[in-house]
Amino acid sequence: MSTTEASMADEALDEPEDDSAVKKTLGLAFWVAVGWIVTITLAAVLAPWLPIADPDEIANGAPRDGILGDNLMGTDALGRDVFARTVHGARISLGVGFLGIILGVTVGGALGIVAGYFKGIADQVISFMFFSLLSFPALVLALLITASIDRSFWTVAMTLGILGIAPIGRLARATTIQFSEREFVQAARVIGARNKRIIIRELLPNVVIPMGALTLLGMGISIVAEGSLAFLGLSVEGEAISWGKSIVDGSQTRDLEQNAHVAFVPIAAMFLTVLALNFAGDRVREYTDVRETAF
Amino acid sequence: MGRFILRRVVQLVLVLLAVTFMAFSALNFLGDPLVNVIGPLAAIDYCDEVEAGLREDSFTTLNNLKGDCEIIAEAKEQYGLDKSVPVRYVTWLGDIVTGDLGTSFQTQLPVSEIIRQKLPKSLLLMVMAEIVALAIAIPVGVYSAYRAGRAVDRATSVASFGLLSVPNFALGVVMLQFFALRNQWLPASFDDTNLGTRIHSLLLPSIVLGIGIAATYQRLLRTDLVTTLQEDFVHMARAKGMTDSHIMVRHALRPSLFSLITVFGINTGALIGGSLVIERIFSIPGIGSEIVTAVIRDDFPVVLGAVVVIATGFVLINFFVDLFYTWLDPRVRAS
Repeated sequence: MSTTEASMADEALDEPEDDSAVKKTLGLAFWVAVGWIVTITLAAVLAPWLPIADPDEIANGAPRDGILGDNLMGTDALGRDVFARTVHGARISLGVGFLGIILGVTVGGALGIVAGYFKGIADQVISFMFFSLLSFPALVLALLITASIDRSFWTVAMTLGILGIAPIGRLARATTIQFSEREFVQAARVIGARNKRIIIRELLPNVVIPMGALTLLGMGISIVAEGSLAFLGLSVEGEAISWGKSIVDGSQTRDLEQNAHVAFVPIAAMFLTVLALNFAGDRVREYTDVRETAF
Repeated sequence: MGRFILRRVVQLVLVLLAVTFMAFSALNFLGDPLVNVIGPLAAIDYCDEVEAGLREDSFTTLNNLKGDCEIIAEAKEQYGLDKSVPVRYVTWLGDIVTGDLGTSFQTQLPVSEIIRQKLPKSLLLMVMAEIVALAIAIPVGVYSAYRAGRAVDRATSVASFGLLSVPNFALGVVMLQFFALRNQWLPASFDDTNLGTRIHSLLLPSIVLGIGIAATYQRLLRTDLVTTLQEDFVHMARAKGMTDSHIMVRHALRPSLFSLITVFGINTGALIGGSLVIERIFSIPGIGSEIVTAVIRDDFPVVLGAVVVIATGFVLINFFVDLFYTWLDPRVRAS
């Protein structure tokens, strides 16, 4: 072992971790991530009015046209415009992701707060429910629900929401327990505030903050889950386009051999969106993590 | 320890009951198993009237030998669908405890037999993926903790953060394209000839699955190791003049594996989900592919059987991880 290595090891062993420092700015990269999320959301919402090709038009260009051909990002095996399909696919991917996480946060958050605040039997029942939900591998639970009901847009969104209930609810419960012991909550109780008021006015604002970060992370997870369901043939059925379904469409052996961009363009869109959501969520979590400054 | 285990076993039984009941009632309440057995015929709703003699039975099936309501009644009786859901649940639970998971509507094979054929392939894939994950995560985690805060560490942090944002099916499609189709370095689909070909053809899918898990493991291991390296016994070892590699591997690694072990259990859920999808991409005839086929064909007993086996396995793995963890670190028992 050389001396330089030993001295480096000294630093590694002795130096406190520098990334544990509290950073109180969100940073440029955060705004780049937010910019991407806003752009892709706007594109999804405005897709029918944007000056792009009709995503369903067969033979819009030559079939299996490359990425630098006449169409901006080439065409698939049926000559449909890959760029237009990716933009339109964002509608369902972001839509089910957004609705799913809203459902997860509302139901999971409410159950978690009730369990954490009232404790006792309510806590035991709700916690056991969370535990049972988490006893299914997430994708297995999702396929159980979609396979049992149908594959409509609303079912898929609801399924993704159900997946979020237990993890989000657990966080809400833990945060509620943590805050319900704090002085300001006890003070409210002492001056005779009712449970409803304590929950809404004292606890909710504090529980919502960590949930914000989880909402962003959860939306990324929901978008990926839609893709996984698509590979199992359980995403939104019919002609509807989603990123997951576009990736599945482009993943046939012949497509991958000859025109991989059909799968790679929606993959890139999904990856960038999930990356942006994860990054933004991570930064919001660090930014709102008040533990170091609260006391 | 004895009481602790007993409490956990009671909890385990309750959770297994809840999981099986949820799976069973999902397919019974949300879907209609009768439709799975006899198709659209199940939608006929006037059989009560036929039975009461108020109207004639209809004959819509091809070989008009039996009336529609007669077929419905026979199917209900054959599959026990004429009984109430709680009764059916208890009967079904009694059957699975004795290893009888029912019969496939489509192939008429016992579901337990189908699972026995398909499950080993999925298990092999998952075990190989875990090996790949640990083979990547432990060296990279140790090295990045050793060089904490330096360029190598920062680069691995960025890389693992990025990898966590890559859906496993996306990585699967990209790696299939590059390693199996564009360059024929590794096989693109499953070869069931013998164990050797099985492992060889599962290399690429297990690498795809393993890389994603490795990113999670590496981040945990690095964080724990950095904390361990501040401990007195590490300074002690250094003072005694032990080499860095000896300290990292022999002293610091073992007490830093706690988070990794806990997450191993939870992560199995993601691994199972991932392997269902990866099996589709690499045409592996495992339990995941079987579920997809069963879902498409509305083969209710196969879906239910597979889901129950997977969920039970998942619960059991977490149960044993929990026990193992408690055995490793007795402080957990107190809480």
